[in-house]
Amino acid sequence: MAEQTLAGRIGMGRNANEGDRSARARTVLLALGGFLALTVLFSLTSGASDASALGLVREWLFGSTVGDAALSARDRLIIYDIRLPRAVMGALVGAALAVSGAVMQGLFRNPLADPGLIGVSAGAGLGAVSMIVLGAGALAPVSALLGAFSLPMAAFVGGLVTTLVLYQVATRHGQTSVATMLLAGIALAALAMAVTGVLIFMADDRQLRDLTFWGLGSLAGATWQKIAAVGPVIVLALAAMPFLARGLNALALGEATAGHLGVPVQRLKYTAIVGVAAAVGAAVAVSGGIGFVGIVVPHLLRLMIGPDNRYLLPASALLGSALLLLADAVSRTIVAPAELPIGIVTALAGAPFFLWILLRKRGLLDL
Amino acid sequence: MIEARGVSVTIGNKRIVSDIDFQVRPGEIATMVGPNGSGKTTFLKALSGELAHGGQVTVNGRVMGAMKPAELAAVRAVLPQATALAFPFTVREIVKLGLVGGRSGVKAAEAERLPERALARVDLAGFAGRLYQELSGGEQQRVQLARVLCQVWTPVLDGAPRYLFLDEPVSSLDIKHQLIIMGIAREFAEGGGGVVAILHDLNLTAMVSDRVFVMHRGRLAASGTPREVLRDDLMQSVFDCRLSVGVLPSADVPFVLPQTAAL
Repeated sequence: MAEQTLAGRIGMGRNANEGDRSARARTVLLALGGFLALTVLFSLTSGASDASALGLVREWLFGSTVGDAALSARDRLIIYDIRLPRAVMGALVGAALAVSGAVMQGLFRNPLADPGLIGVSAGAGLGAVSMIVLGAGALAPVSALLGAFSLPMAAFVGGLVTTLVLYQVATRHGQTSVATMLLAGIALAALAMAVTGVLIFMADDRQLRDLTFWGLGSLAGATWQKIAAVGPVIVLALAAMPFLARGLNALALGEATAGHLGVPVQRLKYTAIVGVAAAVGAAVAVSGGIGFVGIVVPHLLRLMIGPDNRYLLPASALLGSALLLLADAVSRTIVAPAELPIGIVTALAGAPFFLWILLRKRGLLDL
Repeated sequence: MIEARGVSVTIGNKRIVSDIDFQVRPGEIATMVGPNGSGKTTFLKALSGELAHGGQVTVNGRVMGAMKPAELAAVRAVLPQATALAFPFTVREIVKLGLVGGRSGVKAAEAERLPERALARVDLAGFAGRLYQELSGGEQQRVQLARVLCQVWTPVLDGAPRYLFLDEPVSSLDIKHQLIIMGIAREFAEGGGGVVAILHDLNLTAMVSDRVFVMHRGRLAASGTPREVLRDDLMQSVFDCRLSVGVLPSADVPFVLPQTAAL
């Protein structure tokens, strides 16, 4: 009897926080922060030029006067004007895509929702292409008014319209049908791409070069000016997302139950949709179609820390940034000195992963 | 008190619920019975603010339509018939969602321990670390009840009574757990809260109800104490089958026996 009580007590002590994954989540967040710092350093120092990581770190730590390891003027130019903006942009885009994926999955209550998969990126792409092709013509007043912001704004509007249409089509009485969502996403993506095709047909040679480069997804065009145009949009959208986390957690129980728990469901939904459209729009505007980040990253993290959005959203931002920087490093080096578009790299890695998710969940989906 | 006056619900062109008057007072368990499709759940959804409705609902004297979701969540919690969960949350994470809206009526330090206490109440001590999706239907139903209990842990908050809405809370439970759950409802009422429950088991209804509302084809067919409402003629016409109602002499509680033509 005494033994039983003792065993019971030990059990109680050990299991006091059973089912609480927040401690593990915080550890994973810290580790991801370190991982991201390493990938940033890696992407600053890898590439065609051999500016060394060691030299860079020494310069950061001791200033630029230390002996032979100090960076040459050429290295400094390469790092601060080419690789650093590219790394910053990659981190911003990766975070935007991964967090948007996690938010959409929470909103649609489905782990397969992804901005790329269900047409939001295609809609944003249509907005961006419209601005590239028509910016000097029919949309000239808009581009004159918004200047550098006109491209991300056009992509935002395209993404927003697509998301709203998708949500209206796929949701009835607070329940989202996965089959309808995926099929509507396919239809919307096809429509957006068809219209994009018409615009490409109308484009002149210079615009065509811009479009081709942009369409496959690339961070190669990263400049501080572009970051100044889209960075604030992405940072603002990302900063708003943590406020949605608790509401999205409650939404996992269904819209009605979330409402009963005191969550202002309509406001939550529209904030999430506008935030996702802004983040995805900005990302697509500068980097084109980079797929699968939004589905792979949150899925991996749910396996590690569970689905609590209070941890999932920041963790997605960190891992999304890090993975996109790694993908970019691969895209720059695998066929060096040429570059493989990063969209191809993420698709090569992400599409099989997506199939693997489908295999694991086979029979559990209401398709 | 929660009071409904002339509440009607129309979905599409179809009127599901017509002109219902309903009250639940603090300290009471009010149950709703009626055949499938008689509008019980629809009415409860109107009463919880989930469905647009005609007529008026007041909660502790305030018009419900003028209350924010968070204000409403502070005074009433709703256990739905079924909950489909989208992601692999643990039992503890689900139960803790009951605290999303804010004030359960306990101090912050106590709130940390609330999930365990709520789980122990529904006889699921030790289940906190399990994944919700791997539980049986009856266990899931009790986890949801624990979540609902977390939301309104104290039956009275700042002097205002709080309410539990339970839509078929015992539908997939064995008899022991049916009694445990109805015991929780009774305790909540005795603590000064009010309980609205939709039940199918007429004998359980007779045993636990202070007031019974009988729904039939979207309308209120009768309301009153179990002795007033559970009568042969009324039950037979509402449920359209042969029933015999007796009274347990020891407790003065009615009981209902179904009868078939063969008997």
